[in-house]
Amino acid sequence: MPRDLKIVLGILTVAVLVGLASLGGLHERMKGLSENSHADEEARREVLTAPISTPTDVTVQAPMYWFAGTNQLAPVNVSLALSADPAQRARQVLNALIADPTPQQRTLPASTTLLGFYVLSDGTAIADFSDALATEIPSGIASEQAAIDSIVDTLKANVPSLFRLKILIQGQEVDTLAGHIDLTGFFDLNPVPAQPAIPPLHSQNAPAASAAATAAIR
Amino acid sequence: MLFAFVAQARPLPGPPQQQQQTAPPPKPQAAPQQPGSPPSQAPAVQPPAAPAAPPYTGPMIVLDPAHGGTDTGARGETGALEKDLVLDYAGMARSELESQGFHVVLTRTGDTNVSFADRAAIANSYRNAIFITLHVASTGAFGTVRTYYDQFGSEPAPPAATNTSTTVAAPHSTTLIPWDEAQLPHVDVSRQLATAIQAQLAQRFNGSPAAPTPAAVRDLRSIDAPAVAIEVSSVSVQNPNALAALAGPLAVSIARGIQAFLAATPSGGK
Repeated sequence: MPRDLKIVLGILTVAVLVGLASLGGLHERMKGLSENSHADEEARREVLTAPISTPTDVTVQAPMYWFAGTNQLAPVNVSLALSADPAQRARQVLNALIADPTPQQRTLPASTTLLGFYVLSDGTAIADFSDALATEIPSGIASEQAAIDSIVDTLKANVPSLFRLKILIQGQEVDTLAGHIDLTGFFDLNPVPAQPAIPPLHSQNAPAASAAATAAIR
Repeated sequence: MLFAFVAQARPLPGPPQQQQQTAPPPKPQAAPQQPGSPPSQAPAVQPPAAPAAPPYTGPMIVLDPAHGGTDTGARGETGALEKDLVLDYAGMARSELESQGFHVVLTRTGDTNVSFADRAAIANSYRNAIFITLHVASTGAFGTVRTYYDQFGSEPAPPAATNTSTTVAAPHSTTLIPWDEAQLPHVDVSRQLATAIQAQLAQRFNGSPAAPTPAAVRDLRSIDAPAVAIEVSSVSVQNPNALAALAGPLAVSIARGIQAFLAATPSGGK
């Protein structure tokens, strides 16, 4: 065998051995990157869903509309400290709706995050959920409708000043939740915006019509 | 903003027509010729002409197998796909309806992507249509079936009045309706159709509710005709053949439900 060929083969052999030796490390690095990404998402979720409470919150028995059988929703009273401010109260209620049910009661994917909740001056509420709500919910009219009903009924029962609800996914208006239920419109909550239990300080002198409306928060 | 509109140029509803209960009569066949006999030049006696079938005046049943193509819909652990199941269900329903004299069209007959707008366009191209979209859920008690009719939420709040008068409100049109709200005038009739079909489904599928369910189903929003969605539960069943076996009772329920609806609402909701 020519000497040059031996050298080339030797170099190739060494290169292959080095490559094989580095495969394990490469795999570990990729695994680490994947875990870091997951950890980042978890950390983000924890920050966003950290319990929101103030010393003035009042502990009440808040009805949560969860599954009580196949495709059947029923209220379950949960002890929650809730704010008098509609937007804050709605955030507290929706976070509990996502975080607190048993697996059998669950209507929304556990990985769903409430990214934001706003209340417009006419009592229209805007809830912004993470895309997990759309991507991890079981496909179907019934399951998507149950998720929407769960949100709507829980808000109706706990935040009477809200008039109607618009649902966003990752800050965007989407056509459907997961291919079936139309999210381009509004979901009716309470027909007439009611007076808040405790008017916000900045609107105490405002007319009654605007007292019911809370300035957009967040 | 909505720029697409549906022309609402429908004929006045005529008197209720008796639906054909049987398939149209077969075409008359030529009399067999005796082998070896010379071709007859002219028959001595003309056979009596078959009476011309009356023109079809019933509704066009638009069956919509949901999903399709890259959109598989619900997927079962056994590999059952919603898009395939609903295509089978639609085929069976078509046969059942045609055997009872109805005219039927499908929004897709193969594994193709069809947009919501295209599905609506097919239904809206007929002056007298009944639209039924078929789904299979990924959850729910196996063998139960639900019918849905569209539910619109509250309208957006009107803009606050301003002092400026430079803009003039457009005159209200009675002939054009927004494409995205085409179902709005038909919601009550669609509820009647859903009620009639759900009553039939409840008889054949134990555990199914007796009444239909209102829901903001996306498929129905742009349909300018009575329209319902039917969802079968579910692809989670372990035996995929059990899902296929539902096609027959489902087809019968749909056909009888439509008949009951037309009997109670002769104009078909027009």
